[in-house]
Amino acid sequence: MRALVVEDDDDLAEDLVLSLRAAGFVVDRCSDGEDAWFRGDVEDYAIAVLDLGLPCLDGLSVLKRWRAAGRSLPVLILTARGDWTEKVEGIESGADDYMAKPFAMGELIARVKNLVRRTAGQGSPILRIGQLSLDTIRMTVTIDGRPIMLSQLEFRFINYLAHQDGRLVPAGEVAEHLYGVADSTDTNAVEAIVKRLRRKIGSETIQTRRGLGYALAGSAG
Amino acid sequence: MTRSSLRLRLLSGAAAATFLALALAGVGFSWLFHRHVERREADGLIAVGKQIAASVSVDEFGRPIVDPLPANPGYQAVAGGRYWQVLGSGGSAQSASLWDQSLPSVAAPSSRWSSSTAPGPFEDRVLLVSRTIRPDAGRPGIVVRVARDDTPIRTALGEFNFEMGLSLALLWIVLSLAAYVQVGLGLRPLDRLRQEVDRLRRSPKARLSDRHPSEIAPLTDAINALAQTREDDLTRARRRAADLAHSLKTPLAVLSTQSRRARAAGAEGAADGLDRAIAAVGAALEAELARARAAATRASPLSGTSSALEVMEQLVDVVERTPHGEAIVFTIEAAANVMIPAEKADLAEMLGALIENAARHARRQVRITGVIVDDTALIRVEDDGPGMEESFAANAMQRGVRLDETGSGHGLGLSIVRDLAEATAGSLKLGRSSLGGLDARLSWTMASHPPKLR
Repeated sequence: MRALVVEDDDDLAEDLVLSLRAAGFVVDRCSDGEDAWFRGDVEDYAIAVLDLGLPCLDGLSVLKRWRAAGRSLPVLILTARGDWTEKVEGIESGADDYMAKPFAMGELIARVKNLVRRTAGQGSPILRIGQLSLDTIRMTVTIDGRPIMLSQLEFRFINYLAHQDGRLVPAGEVAEHLYGVADSTDTNAVEAIVKRLRRKIGSETIQTRRGLGYALAGSAG
Repeated sequence: MTRSSLRLRLLSGAAAATFLALALAGVGFSWLFHRHVERREADGLIAVGKQIAASVSVDEFGRPIVDPLPANPGYQAVAGGRYWQVLGSGGSAQSASLWDQSLPSVAAPSSRWSSSTAPGPFEDRVLLVSRTIRPDAGRPGIVVRVARDDTPIRTALGEFNFEMGLSLALLWIVLSLAAYVQVGLGLRPLDRLRQEVDRLRRSPKARLSDRHPSEIAPLTDAINALAQTREDDLTRARRRAADLAHSLKTPLAVLSTQSRRARAAGAEGAADGLDRAIAAVGAALEAELARARAAATRASPLSGTSSALEVMEQLVDVVERTPHGEAIVFTIEAAANVMIPAEKADLAEMLGALIENAARHARRQVRITGVIVDDTALIRVEDDGPGMEESFAANAMQRGVRLDETGSGHGLGLSIVRDLAEATAGSLKLGRSSLGGLDARLSWTMASHPPKLR
């Protein structure tokens, strides 16, 4: 798998490259924004680790250009400022995760692997149910072409329902799927997820049968 | 008003000057009035004296004879207050009112009428006119004296002085009030200037208005120039702090890679020491940056309000991508009209730290609510984690204490959130949530924010 490291500090970049190689990636490195934008646009990477403070073109601009060009590779951004406004800007520009400097290399590698695992091995990444389209790589749903950003938990919930062919899924089963071992209080968490999802994708999309469970509207069954 | 008050100095100066002027005027008026009355009375006495001179004759013994006598009854009654006396070489004639007394002699009466005051025969003082006449050339002259009690004159003068004094005192009060109003009007621009400078002190971005009189304009221009310099310095200092943070954080990241290499090479002890140093420097850097941010927030004017719901949703989008947040359900309950009196970036720092902290400790759920109760905006961040002992909560609010020393790096301590909340005139309180975990409450009283200067 190929990874792109965009970092202007040579020492840090070298260590990132070495660590990612040790984790099994084939790593390309560039040190300015223009170069990064070009490489990300023409090459096919499984992941990019992108510093925000770059010469020539800043990291956020690079990310926005990649997304505008339809490049959907997962991107982990590195920020030095570490303030929340910058993190929000990063995520809104299309980043999948962020880490503030200084970071622990082990945690960075774990997060990179997590992002790659999340997006790899999806045969057909788009799943369609009624007006809903589930993009299993970007973890987004679109309703009539309008993209909606979901949290991992929300996406896993809706993805699970989408694979049930309209079967009513009890809250306890959903909780068990989401949390592994679940207890009775976790059904409250499932209700909270449903509440949030309804706000994001519309109240009619997820149907509730009291005492029986949940199903996606428009799925067969 | 203090002793050095400009208003007091101007007012006391004006009051003293008008008092002095009015007192001098009072003395002058009194003197003029006295002279006028005396002159008129003297004229009246001279007229009587002329009448007597016209009707006086001298007998063979040199005694003066007055016929007819002056008609005024005051000359008939003893001690009647009006007297005349004619002195010849052989004797004298005088009014019945003089009884057995005589009018005081005054310095050599001339051949013209002269007036003076002298001790009276029955009164303290009389006004007296006298003259020497010579009915026949070559014979000794006759002295004619006419006098009247001057008590009525002095009484009238006293009454005049009293009434004039009252009038002048009233005039002094009116003039002092006028001076008060005038000084007030004159100083009002200074008062406005003081208020504007006071707001400028609290808000470096504010500037003095240009609505001041032309005499004050150079001062306001100079103050505005000073404020601009100060703001520029502040901006430069903040930029330098951010640059410093950036320039220090990357080397810190590099240092941590060196530590990792050292550990891989078997130097566990050195790596541990390096890691501790890196963590300490990183935490100190974050704390100082956060403090600088709180100080900057305190110094900058409030330019508006921020939507709680918008910031909450943006932050949850970020936190639910972190390893701590991805397994947590975030529930946001806030109406779109919940506006917080803080800059969006500051609100994001406070809420971001609280939400990240909640996600780190939560088991399944984090609930974020925003409500406005009366004139207070309240934001609560609750989790279903283990919560916090009261003593630990108090400790966590102390400066520089990290809630979770093992958590990965960028979480600000609750004390920093509290600093930032206080910098935006809000407050942070910790309690236990109905979900079971920590309940962090940020609140702002909406009425406590003064309007901006411009």
